[in-house]
Amino acid sequence: MYEVEILTGNETAAYAAMNSNVRVVAAYPITPATPVVETISKLVESGKMLAKFIRVESEHSAMAACIGASAAGSRAFTATSSHGLAYMHEMLHWATNARTPIVMAVANRAIGPGWNIWADLGDSLSQRDTGWMQFYCSNNQEIYDTIAMAYKLAENRKVLLPAMVCYDGFVLSHTAMPVELTEFGDFLHEYEPVWKLDAEKPFTHGNILPPEEFAELRHNVQKSHDRALKLMHKVEEEFYELYGRRTPLILEEYKVEDAEKVIVTMGAIGSEAKVAVDSLREKRVKAGLVRLRCFRPFPEKQLKELLEDKKIYVFDRAISPGSGGPLYQELKAALASTPIKRITPRIVGIGGIDVTKRTFERALFERKIWIKEVIS
Amino acid sequence: MLISIRFHGRGGQGAVTASKLLAQTASEMGYYSQSMPFFGAERRGAPVISFTRISDEPIYEMSQVYHPNIVVVLDPVIMKVVDVFRGVKEGGWIVANTTKKPDEFVFGQEYLNIVAVDATGIAIKNDLLVAGMPVVNTPMLGALLRADIPLNIEVLEGIVARKFGKEGKKNVKAISEAYEFAEVKLIHGSGKRRYPKKQKIKVEFPISTPAEGVAGKTKLWRDFRPEINYDKCNDCLNCWLHCPESAIRLNDRVEIDYDYCKGCLVCAAVCPKKAITSEREVFADV
Ligand code: SF4
Ligand code: SF4
Repeated sequence: MYEVEILTGNETAAYAAMNSNVRVVAAYPITPATPVVETISKLVESGKMLAKFIRVESEHSAMAACIGASAAGSRAFTATSSHGLAYMHEMLHWATNARTPIVMAVANRAIGPGWNIWADLGDSLSQRDTGWMQFYCSNNQEIYDTIAMAYKLAENRKVLLPAMVCYDGFVLSHTAMPVELTEFGDFLHEYEPVWKLDAEKPFTHGNILPPEEFAELRHNVQKSHDRALKLMHKVEEEFYELYGRRTPLILEEYKVEDAEKVIVTMGAIGSEAKVAVDSLREKRVKAGLVRLRCFRPFPEKQLKELLEDKKIYVFDRAISPGSGGPLYQELKAALASTPIKRITPRIVGIGGIDVTKRTFERALFERKIWIKEVIS
Repeated sequence: MLISIRFHGRGGQGAVTASKLLAQTASEMGYYSQSMPFFGAERRGAPVISFTRISDEPIYEMSQVYHPNIVVVLDPVIMKVVDVFRGVKEGGWIVANTTKKPDEFVFGQEYLNIVAVDATGIAIKNDLLVAGMPVVNTPMLGALLRADIPLNIEVLEGIVARKFGKEGKKNVKAISEAYEFAEVKLIHGSGKRRYPKKQKIKVEFPISTPAEGVAGKTKLWRDFRPEINYDKCNDCLNCWLHCPESAIRLNDRVEIDYDYCKGCLVCAAVCPKKAITSEREVFADV
């Protein structure tokens, strides 16, 4: 048996970084991700975590330092949220094109003004075009496992992409639940970069690139996402063999096969949705659930196979103003051949509105797109 | 089986730690558990809520608890500003920190079982003080175990002894004292609670204007009461400028509005003349 501790999502992310043998952490505090960094700094200070902790003056610098560390051949980690993530935006692109396999914990929070510190996936979803892989979690064990699995994928030479591991602010970041603290030594070996910055053999990285070569670089980033998607099952299997836990990377399906109405969502509310499905089935509604784990790369094929002939309700805890829910938009594109009236958008949980099983139950039978109240 | 517990306290009393310790106790006894604090204004003295769920099956709920089986009230004053009874299941429990006897409870008599304990007294007696404020979370857990909850006091004490280091011993003592001295009253009935109608919210621009009172009458947060000594005051207005609650008025001179002053003592700290002193606040009416 492994050690089971009652940990918050943030503490879990810190322990996952430690047990993934992260060597460099550069971070700047922001609610609700701050405790990740606090926990890591304690672990480093006490000598339990053998990493260099770099204090920086902003999130932009935090990501720049992670890129530097990764380019020099170290496994790098950081954590942020909301405005901090937005402030990193430029460097996020940099990390992708530099092919630095950094992993970052993101405690999802709304972006102001209208200062709001609560859960909303709008911060990471608005970074969806930066080229980072994005995973969404719905409990703390999943945060723990996904961080290790994200390194495994990110550092694979066919991938070499950075990854965000996202979890709802407060709902997961500050909620404590049991977590098995596995050591990842057998699963993650020391990071061996293809190339690394070396003072003995100097070269420049990220210099000017003419159009054709730049297009080639961007095409390679896209191909790497495709390859990452293909590798996910292998990573899941290897993880399961070692630790006995099935942690899906692409999606989790629940009672979909015979379902007539399928809820599609991601993040913490995807866990609550499971309770809703059971409750709906007790009332003889054939409900099912697809909880998306990986938003980038977007598993178009897998979703299409599962959902093609279902009535679908997409629950977004985010809004792309002028367009709609980001997950709804992408799913609609993926299912282009499905009649549009079978895909129904719902916007829930914005700015931390609590999403209960009754939110889902009601949303399936009301016509309102937005649910702006707690249905307790 | 799914037992849900809601803790009410004020920032600094340890409600969040209490709900996490309870989850840990349940976990070590083989149950699934979850501890979910709700964060609003993270200020010392502000009302705080935290939830614990305990179950013999995996817990998938990630929403707050709206219909708890047990409510734990760490601070008697909180009942003045928060509806601690909201949504409690009929036949559920209220575990309150109070010097009152269960029979003297004004609310809840008809439909709730009651555990009453003077946790503040026990905390003071056992020297559980942080910055002069009694921390009542561990004795409240002791009293909570007298309610209908399948957890063992020794497991809880073991965890507290392990996690609290040198503070462990006195906390363990406070837990067993509270467990022993808590008064329990069992009641059967079927009272129903009415909920106030919600107001419609309309927000277009995030605009706010300077105003006191957005957090209610914050005087109840006050552990200390500032007093201005006008013989020393030179009207520099430093206190007026720095008061985070805008609770200092400009009349002919600076005056503290004791309805809203939350007792943070920022004013005393910034006064160049040391004209603001403070003493312990005691509210006669609660
Ligand atoms: S203690 Fe002083 S600064 Fe603090 S709220 Fe009261 S008047 Fe304002
Ligand atoms: S800071 Fe002190 S001296 Fe200045 S106005 Fe306030 S009470 Fe008077």
